[in-house]
Amino acid sequence: MIGRPIAYGVVLAGLMTAHGAMAQDEITVNLVNEPSSLDPHQQWNPDSYYVYRNIFDNVVTRDDDGEIVPEIATEWEQVSDTEMVLTIRDGVTFHDGEPLTPEDVVYSVERITDPEFGSPQLGQFNSITGAEVTGEHEVTLTTDGAYPVLLAQLVKLSVVPEHVVEEVGADAFNASPVGSGPYAFEAWNRGVDVTLTRNADYWGETGPFETAVFKAVPDAATRVANLRAGTADLIVSLDSDLALQVENQPGVKVLTAPTERVGFMGMNTTRPPLDDPQVRRAAAMAIDREGIVQGILAGGEEAVGQLATPAHFGYVEGVEPIAYDPDEAARIVEETGAGDTPMEFATSPVFDQRIVQAIQQMLTDAGFDVSISLTDMSTYLQSARAPERTERPFLSFGRWSCACQDVDGVQFPLLHSSSSWSRVDDPELDALLETGRSSLDDDERLEAYTQVQQIVQDNAYILPLYQAVAIYGAAEPLQWQPTANESLFLNRMDWSE
Amino acid sequence: MPLFLLKRLGQALVAIFGVMTLVFFIQRLTGDPTYLLVPETATQEDIEAMRASLGLDQPLLVQYVAYLWDMVRLDFGRSYVQNVAVTEIIASRLPYTLQLAGGALLVAIVVGLPVGLALAIWRRHRGTNLLMGLVLGAQSMPTFWSGILMIMIFGVWLGWLPPSGSGSLAHLVMPSIALGLLSMATYARIARSSVLDELSKDYIRSARARGVGTGRMVRTHLLRNSLIPVISISALEISQLLAGAVIVETVFAWPGLGQLTVQSVQSRDFVVVQGIVLLGAFVTISVNLIADILYSVVDPRIRKGDGP
Repeated sequence: MIGRPIAYGVVLAGLMTAHGAMAQDEITVNLVNEPSSLDPHQQWNPDSYYVYRNIFDNVVTRDDDGEIVPEIATEWEQVSDTEMVLTIRDGVTFHDGEPLTPEDVVYSVERITDPEFGSPQLGQFNSITGAEVTGEHEVTLTTDGAYPVLLAQLVKLSVVPEHVVEEVGADAFNASPVGSGPYAFEAWNRGVDVTLTRNADYWGETGPFETAVFKAVPDAATRVANLRAGTADLIVSLDSDLALQVENQPGVKVLTAPTERVGFMGMNTTRPPLDDPQVRRAAAMAIDREGIVQGILAGGEEAVGQLATPAHFGYVEGVEPIAYDPDEAARIVEETGAGDTPMEFATSPVFDQRIVQAIQQMLTDAGFDVSISLTDMSTYLQSARAPERTERPFLSFGRWSCACQDVDGVQFPLLHSSSSWSRVDDPELDALLETGRSSLDDDERLEAYTQVQQIVQDNAYILPLYQAVAIYGAAEPLQWQPTANESLFLNRMDWSE
Repeated sequence: MPLFLLKRLGQALVAIFGVMTLVFFIQRLTGDPTYLLVPETATQEDIEAMRASLGLDQPLLVQYVAYLWDMVRLDFGRSYVQNVAVTEIIASRLPYTLQLAGGALLVAIVVGLPVGLALAIWRRHRGTNLLMGLVLGAQSMPTFWSGILMIMIFGVWLGWLPPSGSGSLAHLVMPSIALGLLSMATYARIARSSVLDELSKDYIRSARARGVGTGRMVRTHLLRNSLIPVISISALEISQLLAGAVIVETVFAWPGLGQLTVQSVQSRDFVVVQGIVLLGAFVTISVNLIADILYSVVDPRIRKGDGP
């Protein structure tokens, strides 16, 4: 009787050491799907950039605190409203041994901004109108106007080798990418996994892994099983229920990071009854943010009172949200007769339906007549971005990230009247958002965004809900601090002793 | 004979053309993939540019003609999402689907046939009720649940098998069982009724009268005669297995065509969906064509046009 637990203990200890020993040289990461592309100038989704950001260096990067720090560019200087000079790091080589030159940087900028090339990321870089080598280690970028978010965008601009891309063509380059990053491409087993190996000649830290394997595992419960069985060291995209399962197991742990993703409820302020600010205010008062954050999400999300997170430039300290007051909301709905108009809540399965249903219930409780219209993503997007603003949905729920950690990337598309997402038309707000987009003076920008928060809140133009959290599962010995921009840099990970 | 063949071939071509046309138009009824391809921050102009680069800005009829011309030249296009030739994507996934279908079929036959036989031979025995219950239970369990259950037991707790993925025979075991369980019950039922049918025939009674033992009777008489309906449902089951693999492939992270289909439909990757549907249509139609030809060889009445 005594022997059994001991035997189990021995087996367990054996398994643990086996896991640890194997894990030293190799890391296995479970993604949701395989990367769509390993050419960093093509498809742009997490499963792709989790992998290719390890193969390529970006112009600049963000450290674990979210500060922009040098990578390929060691220095940058805004020499005029429309010109930025980058100093290119010397002594960086691509994985084929060729040096990385300023010409490669220029080539990369021109490639991704070429409309003919058709990069899905074009919209993030098309304010760059020119790139030129202006010195031995110097590149000058020109923008179509003063553009304060340029540097934040360059965090995502990977440098590709001109000589390789031009020689082999885009297809072969995607199938066998050559970068200058801490890990070199080894093999892509389509639909199964991508293997990278350490770049021993890397100019910076490489991390402790000889090889890294990224596997596609679409089912979240399977990813958790892989982690627990020791066939995965790091898994992405968990929800709080699965995180709870991981938390209670030996040998594995949960890693979370507040992201730059903002959850919000959008309202069409051009369609009655939501064209009445009082009615929108009632809708805002009907929503119990804390209830959503703690009761449904329960992954450490924080309720927010503005359309931004502390990870953004332009986040304004101390903005209080419109307080939850269901009784007052019901009174206003009753008084204005807003409940007489049926409103559609447009959504798609991609969005967390628990939240959509909770919001619908809360609005219905306040007396609104809300029905959920669930369609597939492409149909939803077509209606959300309908050319006529008045045809965009009455209500919707979204989780927005510009991957630039700047308020401009969130608020301009959602609130400026010229944007295809916006359901707001307010010239004063437009002017402030334009100032925020075009001023190179940080103080002036902050001041503009402070006023924006006030106007948005006073008019209840949109209802900010919460700052989303990214939840990962990891083997106990893996040391890693996930960041707000949802990147997965292998060279910032380590095994604990 | 040649005229008959030509007629059948013509019909097959018409059917493929029909499928090509249907898949082209039905997909385009479901929405515009461009919105899914650009980041949220893309402006209307970026979307227009993307649409133009995919050729989706052309009138539908122009797109359709271009598509047919591509098909005639056997150019199946490039994935919108992965920007890789469709033939290459499908070719990389097909072997996995075939492996899994083969494994599942093996499980279904190896387990299903003996079970069906046992159910028929010992039909008056009490244990058969239990066995029938087990078969029904196995068939009724939804794969997304039984799959995860197996992963937890054999992959995590016992550690006998890799919990998911591909690459070795061990990886194939659990997905094959999960997928095979569904058809296993079908095989058991068909085998049971077919054996019962044979058991009531005269030659079995005379064999018994001659004093042939159960074992020998099953081996020499029963099995071969009851196999015919089992073989004919196998063709149907294989297409079932290919279709049913969607969930199993997702749960076990098995990189087959099922997973690819779901992902491609979700991302409106028209070109890949077209490729997969065409492949399916081509296989089905060719199998039917071959079957038609074989029937006509076996039964001359069919090719003379006065058959059943």
